[in-house]
Amino acid sequence: MYRPPPKSIYQRSNYLACPSCDLIFDISSLKTGDTARCTGCNHFLTTHRKGELEHVAAFVSSAIIFLMIACSFPFMAFQANGLESTMTLPETAFILWDYKMYLLAFLIAAFIIVLPAVILISIMSVTIALLLKRKHPWLNTVARSIFTIKNWCMVEVFFIAVLVSLVKITRMATIEMGLSFWAYAIFSVLFVLTISRLDRFQYWRRIEMLNPHD
Amino acid sequence: MTDSRLTAASQGLSSCHLCLKLFNHELHQCPRCNSAAHSRKPDSMQRTLAFLVTAAILYIPANTLPIMVTEQFGQPIESTILGGIVLLIEMGSLPVAVVIFIASIMIPLGKLIAMFYLCWSVQQGSIHSTVKRTKLYRMVEFIGKWSMIDVFVVALLVALIHLNGLLVIRPGLATIAFCAVVITSILAAESFDPRLIWDQMEEENNE
Ligand SMILES: [Zn+2]
Ligand SMILES: [Zn+2]
Repeated sequence: MYRPPPKSIYQRSNYLACPSCDLIFDISSLKTGDTARCTGCNHFLTTHRKGELEHVAAFVSSAIIFLMIACSFPFMAFQANGLESTMTLPETAFILWDYKMYLLAFLIAAFIIVLPAVILISIMSVTIALLLKRKHPWLNTVARSIFTIKNWCMVEVFFIAVLVSLVKITRMATIEMGLSFWAYAIFSVLFVLTISRLDRFQYWRRIEMLNPHD
Repeated sequence: MTDSRLTAASQGLSSCHLCLKLFNHELHQCPRCNSAAHSRKPDSMQRTLAFLVTAAILYIPANTLPIMVTEQFGQPIESTILGGIVLLIEMGSLPVAVVIFIASIMIPLGKLIAMFYLCWSVQQGSIHSTVKRTKLYRMVEFIGKWSMIDVFVVALLVALIHLNGLLVIRPGLATIAFCAVVITSILAAESFDPRLIWDQMEEENNE
């Protein structure tokens, strides 16, 4: 008869259960560059990457710089019949505030600027702590916030929306792209790269290794 | 169904939803990241259905109220999402019209139908096409935020185009309704536990 091994063995850090179908996997034999997928439902489990933290640190710090540039210069200018109007990135939210759509202004600011900024700063602090192998009392809370707000960052969606708007109005008038436009384009790419390099399982395993309690 | 699956639940373990740590299901907190611990998401079905119904109701004002108001020479013209798509086709921008149609009409509606179907199939205790249903759920989860495109487009146009007296674009009330549809459907997807799709197989095995 099949006898399950003692519970404790699966609680070691090389085991995980598929979040989609609950099957347990041992990933201790995963080689560098390999990706583990669930054999039951093909869900992505984890990737073993070399220099993962260094990559994340590089992407995240450049992403922060480009987001700062994107917020401080004109984003686009619109000219028609000798008149011109311009906008900056934060104005996308601020202008809705002027129209008394406070909730919408707040949500848009959160989705495209505030939450991405919070997640990047969190990723940077945790990654630096992991690279320096320093233990901090805030580490768990900050790392948890990364994975909680991840789904609510809509940087890449916003960038596609920018391209759609361009097509919509390009025949009505002359559109000029400002410095911020290009900065946000680069920021979107860096942001997506950062998030895609952030492997939930590997990241938490490293955090656990800083706290040797078991 | 003869061989039983080696699952966390069958071993008396919980898998942390946040950090994937496996631990004794009697614990109330993940020992690694301190998140609240549950073997399955709590009240998954009820919460998912509540969010879905809310999203379905909000879908109506999102599509019937004006999403933006174009004021040309002081003359306001209101347009709905569908109206905007028709206008795009008339302008000859068919590819963009398709993008907006898919992102604003098809995805939100498809998401609602898919989630209702998943809830229904779990409630029915279905053991068929578990892999397909899991993939459907993952897809719904992935495309969730892409329906925000139209709201972002309106916000951008409003911020950019304010040539007083000539051309001004104002946001319509549908923007907030639409935003609420997107948020409630993301919450619905987050509340749903795909492992419920598979749990039925274990129950069949035990019988
Ligand atoms: Zn799986
Ligand atoms: Zn955890």
